[in-house]
Amino acid sequence: MHVVVAGISHKTASLELRERLALDEEAALHVSQELLDEGVACEAVALSTCNRTELYLYGRDSLAARQAALSHLARHAGVAPGELEPSLYSYSGDGAIAHLFRVTSSLDSMVVGEAQIVAQLKAAYQQACDGGCTAVVFNRLFRHALEVGKRVRTETAIGERPVSVSSAAVELALQVFGKLRDHTVLIVGAGETSELTATHLKAHGIEKILVTNRTFAAAEDLARRVGGKAVPFEDLEGHLSAADIVISSTSAPHYVITRERVERAFRHRRHRPMFLIDIAVPRDLDPEINRVRDAYLYDIDDLQHVVEENRSEREKEALHAERIVEQELASVNDWLRSLEVVPTIATLREAVEEIRRGELQRLSNRLSDLTDEQRAQVDMLTTSIVNKILHVPTVKMKEVAGRDQCYLYVDAVRTLFDLDAGEDGEEPAAGDGAAQPPAAAKPDGGEPSAPAGGTVHHLRGTGTEDA
Amino acid sequence: MDQASAILIWLAYLLYAAAFAVFLIGFFTQRPWMNRLGLIVAAVGLVAQTLGIIFRGVDAGHFPFAGLYESLVLVSWAIVLVWHVLESFTKIKAVGLYVMPVVLVLLTIALVEYNPPTGLAPALRSDIVIVHVSVMLVAIGCLYVAGGAAIIYLIEEALLHRRKTGGVLGRLPSIASLDRLIYHATALGLPFLTMGMAAGVIRAETFKVPGWPTDPMVLLSAAAWAVYVALIAGRVRGDWSGRAVSWLAVTGLILLLVIRFAAIPYLSGFHTYGG
Repeated sequence: MHVVVAGISHKTASLELRERLALDEEAALHVSQELLDEGVACEAVALSTCNRTELYLYGRDSLAARQAALSHLARHAGVAPGELEPSLYSYSGDGAIAHLFRVTSSLDSMVVGEAQIVAQLKAAYQQACDGGCTAVVFNRLFRHALEVGKRVRTETAIGERPVSVSSAAVELALQVFGKLRDHTVLIVGAGETSELTATHLKAHGIEKILVTNRTFAAAEDLARRVGGKAVPFEDLEGHLSAADIVISSTSAPHYVITRERVERAFRHRRHRPMFLIDIAVPRDLDPEINRVRDAYLYDIDDLQHVVEENRSEREKEALHAERIVEQELASVNDWLRSLEVVPTIATLREAVEEIRRGELQRLSNRLSDLTDEQRAQVDMLTTSIVNKILHVPTVKMKEVAGRDQCYLYVDAVRTLFDLDAGEDGEEPAAGDGAAQPPAAAKPDGGEPSAPAGGTVHHLRGTGTEDA
Repeated sequence: MDQASAILIWLAYLLYAAAFAVFLIGFFTQRPWMNRLGLIVAAVGLVAQTLGIIFRGVDAGHFPFAGLYESLVLVSWAIVLVWHVLESFTKIKAVGLYVMPVVLVLLTIALVEYNPPTGLAPALRSDIVIVHVSVMLVAIGCLYVAGGAAIIYLIEEALLHRRKTGGVLGRLPSIASLDRLIYHATALGLPFLTMGMAAGVIRAETFKVPGWPTDPMVLLSAAAWAVYVALIAGRVRGDWSGRAVSWLAVTGLILLLVIRFAAIPYLSGFHTYGG
């Protein structure tokens, strides 16, 4: 069994293609369920954000799973599979798990270190889980992935420094004022970045927003959008002394606020610090303002520079994050390997039990003159022989569970007893059988031997009941 | 008893060193809980030091402020105490990182200059002297913390004005919170400084100490007092920028350090207890 991921992201596909492939909640669940119904996978999660659409599948044949994912995504988006093919990436096994971990760690994001992806993945998983599309493997794998995302965020500084102009401005304002509640921001000129910055500031608790513009109507318009108050442009100087943060983005060809104006404003401010952001080109604020005591002036170039610096800082942190992903991959791999053993033992026991019952059935005519007691004894005898024969292989399989070469044993057993061929006809049943025991054994702590032990008990129970 | 005291002071010293290490690691790895851990470790150190001081006092039979060892142990104790009180009030991150080195330096000097407890010189056997010393301790603790905060303020202000936003800037407390810390610590320390100086004057007058008004230590203390009065007055009236306030706090700190390490041991005619 393999974990497979197939999808497109901002790295491989244009925005247009991403838009077409985007799955809303309902569509995501629908696609997952279709893939389960087709039998190419026994667990599925669809993740769709503005930067990626990905299908995570757990199935026996990774190639078939990939092809199914491709055709479903293409059909849903209404594009030819051939058209989608070049943009589609897919990984299986370790590669797929590593990819999932990198996605939740935001290492694969457009802005490395962004925080939204964890919530998005959580929602996607939750929905698949509620829709019955996940079982043991994905329940564990996705929870683990969310933990990895959390670990990366707490153990590295990957999301620490802001990487957009508006959030960098807010960060600097926080460095000056500590907290923004009880502070006033004055917006001069109704530009888009100033609106964005004002929204950011508001999210950080700033309550009083003043907006001013040469045309009062535009000021009123912006004030309404950001929940502030429009003030006449003529009173700029009066409001300047009340403002702790000034954001300027007018299209004026000359300085709107000069050093003298700021100095005059400070006379009424009792020297509380003032943070001024100039996002206009040409500049609105006299660079000399930065020389005024307690005034901190940042223009668009300064902020860009901050953003650049923070970006390279995040890239450095991303290397730490990659190491965490590697560690986590190793730990989840141990568990996955042991998981392969569990259904194999289960199927082996089922197959042998099938033979035993078949043989008893076949001989039922000849055994018809036996008393019920004698028949029960024959039943017990055969069961006991089967259990004795299977005891050593079961123990040995449990021993190798979690080891590197355990897949060799799994393969050998499956080939020798032809377990895969027998399973094709009754996929759902086998899927169930594989899914239940470890789930039951999960509270034991997930030791490699614990789920295996759970399986054996479970099957023995069923065996005697049937007999 | 003296042995117990010495062991406790050493224990406090080691705990402060450990707290400093924790703060340092926390500063570079950006773990907020490290700051809390450091505070707890330092608080345990403070308890050990308090017990050490009490044992020392019991052993010597008097309030242990005589000699360089005892006075430095007391000063460092006062700084840690004041810092803990201010930290719990103002909740400013990373101040421990700047307080701990000062405390460690003072305690290192103290431990190097260790001397066993002795009886008190006759001139120091007076209630007013004890009041003078204990009130001064609180004042010095506060004003050292204010001076430390002012140094960080000046560094941070320069970084912000020069747009050096990478590196340590994000790990420093905000400009506004440092400004508040300087103000609060000075506002708390100044009344104690005033009381301590008043007690000193009363004592000098009652014992008719000759020439005390022109003693270098007294003059320097008066200068420091004036600096702090100016700081508070200017800050309350809003005349002075945060930078000016910080420079005043640093000036005051320098004066206090000169008094402690130059005036008391070498220049002063009557503050002989400092050794």
